[in-house]
This record gives sequence, structure tokens and C-alpha cells, in this order.
Amino acid sequence: MSENRESSVLGGILARGYSRIFFENWPMWVGGVLIGIMSVVTFAWARPWGVAGGLRNWGDWFFSVVGIYHHKPLSPVVSTNSILTFGLLWGAFVASLLSKQFSIRMAPPLELLKGIVGGIFMGVGAAMAGGCNVGGFYSALSALSFSAIAMMIGLLIGAFLGLKYLYWELEHLPSRPTGGTRASEHKEGFNWVQIEPYVGAFALLAALICAFMYNTQAYTRVGGLLLCGVAFGIIIQRTRFCFVRAFRDPFMTGEGEVARAICVSLFISILGFAALKWTGLRGESVYVSQAFWFGGLVGGIIFGIGMVVAGGCGSGSVWRAGEGQVKLMLAVICFALTTSLFKAFIKSSKGLTALMGHRVFLPDYITYKWTITGLLLFLFVYYLLATWNEETEKFTVEM
Amino acid sequence: MVDNITPDETLDCRGLSCPMPILKTKKTIGKMSSGQILEVFSTDPGTKNDLPAFAKRTGHEYLGEKDDEGFTRFFIKVK
Repeated sequence: MSENRESSVLGGILARGYSRIFFENWPMWVGGVLIGIMSVVTFAWARPWGVAGGLRNWGDWFFSVVGIYHHKPLSPVVSTNSILTFGLLWGAFVASLLSKQFSIRMAPPLELLKGIVGGIFMGVGAAMAGGCNVGGFYSALSALSFSAIAMMIGLLIGAFLGLKYLYWELEHLPSRPTGGTRASEHKEGFNWVQIEPYVGAFALLAALICAFMYNTQAYTRVGGLLLCGVAFGIIIQRTRFCFVRAFRDPFMTGEGEVARAICVSLFISILGFAALKWTGLRGESVYVSQAFWFGGLVGGIIFGIGMVVAGGCGSGSVWRAGEGQVKLMLAVICFALTTSLFKAFIKSSKGLTALMGHRVFLPDYITYKWTITGLLLFLFVYYLLATWNEETEKFTVEM
Repeated sequence: MVDNITPDETLDCRGLSCPMPILKTKKTIGKMSSGQILEVFSTDPGTKNDLPAFAKRTGHEYLGEKDDEGFTRFFIKVK
């Protein structure tokens, strides 16, 4: 009798915990903190977090299979770039199933076109800036690379231009809604949504088994990175963490919540990366790409326009694709193909490569001490500005 | 509570993803007058977080939401 009662109490606790994690909203800043921690854990384990590198690997692989590229890229199964991005996609898929939010969401034709065009812009921008908003900005700033600041300025300009386009579109191109049908919903009385959590749990288990198999094949690092990617995917899907919003919303609605969450996240990530690099545990040049300043700034602008038009950045497009949004699936595919081609194009010319810029590792110029102080101060000012703009709407652009 | 609401305007954002539902809502509200009620249809899961936050920030009253078949109805009272 009392055993029954105890087990039902335990069941209640578990059910509440599940609903807390998968049905309720997580605050944005929690996402920021968790991403910051995962970013440091991922770098400590093997390498910094990136998204565009994985997409490029898939693009390279595709063009090599169809015979356009003559060299063979690293197999997507063992490339750490590819595995991280695959994990992100998988994690978002798992989280959206566990929270009953997965469904194939069709979009109107204009939206699909925006996904394609946005994906192409992001592919070009990421090839120039040495990564997307993650590898070119978030992880690069954590890695104390100055090109991240160039890309951040570019992203702000690009987001502003992209928003101007969205306003224009709102006036001139009214897109028709698709209606309420979900493509994945069959009308034969089978309630797909009810079994989603079970499919999700199974998918999560499959990821763990995959990591275990990597381990037995002496690819422990790759297996671990798969799990890191899955963790990013779950965190980001549950918080709906969106880098686009950090750059776009201050202009659009004045909202500064995501901008602040990213500042908090970078605080953690910068301290962790600095510790790993300063102590010599990780190479100093890691994620310091040759993109200061032309590649970072101009790539950032192009990427910024693309992410606002597509409605998702590097990480954002991937997790929304994992949730079943067709528009963002197209964006991811176009991103992968374009970034592979454009990177190959840049690499084919010495002049272009040089034009993208230099590696600028800040501690080489102003020492670690002042780099860390300077970057944290910079983030603090950005945090204050985002909050100040929330109150005054000084930067907000009217329609 | 949201069952008895008769909206003055309905905005159909089904199939659109972030940020289009918010932008369209902002635009539609701009054309409405104080006290009127706007109903928004959306299929984007993000709208469940974004619309209440938007209403709170801009001072409009968020009346609630209701799940329908394959989409959600949101109700906002213009300030």
C-alpha cells in the first residue's frame, strides 16, 4: 500500500520534471548560460563549437560524390565539423519530439524562396567570415580573435538591411498563408503527436548508442562531440535560442532579451576559452581565422542579410530544420552547397584569400590580461546598450 | 476564457515562421483602434513565446491562446 503511494509520488515528481523541461518555456538567459558552459566543455573535450564547418563538409562531400570536386573531403562520419552539426540537428529533432512540437511545417512559396535566398547569402557570408554566427562570431570571440568583432559589426549592419527588406516585403508582397494543415498529420485517426515523446526517447537512445559505437571504434572524441552537438540541439530548441534575434530585435521591436542572453553566454565562454588557451592546454591559433577585417565585416553583412531573410542563422536554421520547418530545411541545404562552392572559389585564388584578411589573435597585441578585460567590458557595454534601447527604443526602426 | 471572444480582426499567419507573425501583428495592430481585439492564427511554435512577450513590451493586453486543429489562435486587445 505505502509502496504504491511512494511510487506514485515518485511518478508525480518525474512527470512534473518532464513537463518542466519539455513543455514549459525555459528563460532565455538559462539558454545563454547553458550554451556558454557547453561551449567551454566542447572546447575542453576536443575543439570549439561550430556549425558552418559541418555544413561545408556536407557540401564538399556532395560535390565530390557527383563528381564536381576531384579531391575527396573527410568523410562526414568522422569529420568533427560534420558530427557537431549533425548532433545539433539530431538534438533539436529529439527535443522537438519530446516536447510534442515536431511536425513537418510547409510554408507559402514566397517563404520557401526566402529560405533558399537566405541560405545562399549565409553560405557566401560564412565562407568569407571564417564561419557562421557561431564559428565566425560566438566561438571566434571566445577564442579571442579580433575578426569576431568585425563580423559582429557586419551582422548588425546586415540584420538592419535585412529588416529593411522585410518591411518592404510586408508592404509590397503579401504572402498567402498555407492554412492549418500539417503535412505529417494523417487523418486516419492515428494520433501521431501522442507517440512523439516515445519516438524522441528512442532517437535520444540511438544517439547514445552511436556515441558508444564511436568509442569502441577508437573514435571517442568524435562520439563525444556527437553528444555535445545533441546537447546544443536540445538546449537551443527548448529555449528557442536564436542569434538572429540578438542582432535583429533591437531594431525591430526594441527587445533586448536575447542580446543580453548572448552577452552572458559569451562571458562564460570567453573566460573558459581564455583559461584553456592561456594555460597552453589548447592551441592559441584555434578558431582565429584569416578574416580581419574584410572577410569578417563584409561576410558578416552578407550573412546578416541572409539570416534575417531566412529567419534563422547557422545554428538557428539547423535546429528549426530539425523541428520540421521546410523553409529552414531549404535554407540549410542551400547554405551547405553555397558555402562549399564559395570557400573553394576563395581558396582557388591567392588574391582573394589575402583580401579576406589576417589572423588577429588579440593577446598577441595587448596581452591576455587586457584582452579579457577589454572583451568583458565590451560585452558589458553591449548588454547595457541593449537594455537602454529597450527603454528608449532609440535604435528601433519604424515600419 | 478565450472561448467567448469575438475578434474585430483576424490575421492568418499559418505557415509563416519567425519573425513574420510578429511583424504582421505589429502592422495590423497599427491600423486598429484602441479596445479592439485582434485574433492571430499561427503554426510557428515560437509564436507562443513571442506574442505574449511582444504584447507585454508594447503595452497591448494579451488575452490568451487556444489550440485549434494544427494551429493556435492568439488574442490581443489593442491598447
